[in-house]
Parts: sequence; structure tokens; C-alpha cells
Amino acid sequence: MNFQFDNVSHMLNMDGHGAYVWTAVVVTVLLMTWLIINPLLQGRNVFKEIAREVSREQLRQDAVKEGT
Amino acid sequence: MNWNWFYRMGSPRWFYESTSRWLPWLGALTFLLLAGGLVWGLAFAPEDAKQGNSFRIIYLHVPASFLALAGYFLMATAGAIGLIWKMKLSYMVMKCAAPLGAVLTFLALFTGAVWGKPTWGSYWVWDARVTSMLILLFLYLGVLALQYAFDSKDVGNKASAILALVGTVNIPIIYKSVDWWFTLHQPATIRFTEAPSMHPDMFQPLLVMILGFYCFYAVALILSVRVEILARERKTSWVRERVKQATQNTLGAGL
Repeated sequence: MNFQFDNVSHMLNMDGHGAYVWTAVVVTVLLMTWLIINPLLQGRNVFKEIAREVSREQLRQDAVKEGT
Repeated sequence: MNWNWFYRMGSPRWFYESTSRWLPWLGALTFLLLAGGLVWGLAFAPEDAKQGNSFRIIYLHVPASFLALAGYFLMATAGAIGLIWKMKLSYMVMKCAAPLGAVLTFLALFTGAVWGKPTWGSYWVWDARVTSMLILLFLYLGVLALQYAFDSKDVGNKASAILALVGTVNIPIIYKSVDWWFTLHQPATIRFTEAPSMHPDMFQPLLVMILGFYCFYAVALILSVRVEILARERKTSWVRERVKQATQNTLGAGL
């Protein structure tokens, strides 16, 4: 198993096929990263929403307790 | 026969809690496989005698296509389980598998297009394999759209499940298209019945990438199913308990 290219610019160019290969790599990596980041962000938002609901209910319960 | 395991698997809470434990490990394994396989395939696998370096796109194209097909099976199976046993979790899996599969199918088509240009001389050809993959993309988008086309979530779920099941007819067509219609797309490199038509030096990184894509699919799907579970089970006591604990922990860490 050997490194197939002479140097970095040879690897970027890939004997004229670099533009195709690297476009495929960049688009794939971007979309796959998005598929992971998106649910993580959404999950955090849902978590925060529920936390707000919980604390609001807590306040309401405390207020009722003080009232009696 | 004892069916308890089956019903336990259908419990969103069980799913959420057990995936919490091992998801980070699966994520790390996925990253290692994909990063390792990609570097191996792009820089260390030998050049193809006929196609030159453009063949390196295979390390993205084949795994993405594999998962686009396998993901469709999974989505249709989840839809069927939802229809038969009315399992909530199963419908959630089906719903989350649709956008994931659509992106993977798009990637298969896109990487195929940029591979086609230097190899076939054109980005797009109405070849049997390419066309049937395009139909797969529309099926995924159809399942996704049906989810939101009805006011009732239940009706939306049933409609998408039926479309997903009907669409499975397309899967063997895609798989066999390269043998039935001998047009442009090359026949399968990997078959269940024969040795791969590829040198081991090229084939090994491809296997690593396929494995990495399978793990990636699992991680991405589980992540979005977990969000779906949190959102739908927000009123239940176990979700509230979890949220309370998490906020206390961050408060404690902040203080």
C-alpha cells in the first residue's frame, strides 16, 4: 500500500480528474455533516422548550401553594 | 412464544434510554471508519487502469447507493410494522428515514453525475439504473410530502406507509437494471454469489466505506428518531424527569 501521488498538488489535480473527485467529496461531506448536525440542533431546541414548560409549571405550582 | 422483547422495542422510552448509552461509541466508530476509508480510497488505493483517478468516486458513490436502497427497505418495513401493530415508534422511524434516504439517493445521483462526466462524457444519461434511482428519489420525497399532507398525523402515517410499501417494487428493478437493460451503467462490482470483480487493494477500502456508511446511517437515523421521541413524549413524566435532571446538571456546572 503506497501513497499514489507525488505531492499535494498532484493529489488535488489527480491527472485532470481532481475537479470531479473533489466536488464529489466536498458535497458528500457537507451533506453528511448536515445530517448529523441538524438533529443535534433540533434536539437541543426541543430540550430547551420542554425545560421552559417544566419551569413555568413549577412556578405555577409554587404560586398555588403560597396562596393556600 | 414470548413477545415481550418485541413490545419493549416498541417503547419510545426504552429506545431513547438504551441509545443514550451506546450512541457516542457508535458515532466514534463511524467517524473512524469513514475518515480511514476515505483517506485510504482517495490517496492509497491504486489508480484504475481504464478510468484513471476518476474511479475514486466509487468510494462515495457505491456506499451512498447501497444505503439509499437499504434505507428504503428499512423505511418500508417500519411502515408495515406501523400499519400492522400500530406502533408509534415504528412510524417515527419511517418518518425519519425518508429525508435521510432522500439525501443519500441525491448523493448517489450527484456523485454518479460527476463520475459520468469524465467516464461517459455526460453528467446525465437516461440509463436504466440512473432513471430508476431518480424514481427512488421521488418515492422518498413522496413519502416525506405525504407526512405533511394531512391534518391528522395518523392518516399521514398510514398514507406514507402505503406509498413506501408500494414503492418497494422499484428496489429489485434498480438492483437488476444493469443486467436487464445493458445500457451505460457498469454491472455491479460486488455480488452476493461471486467474488468481487475488483482487485483487493481497491476493494478493501470500499468495504470499509460501506461499513462506515451503514454505521453513519444508524447514527443519523437514531439521532433524528430521538428528537422525534422528545417532541412527541414531552408531556410524559420520564421526559420531564430527564429534562429536569439535565437542567440541574448544567446549573450545577455553571455555579
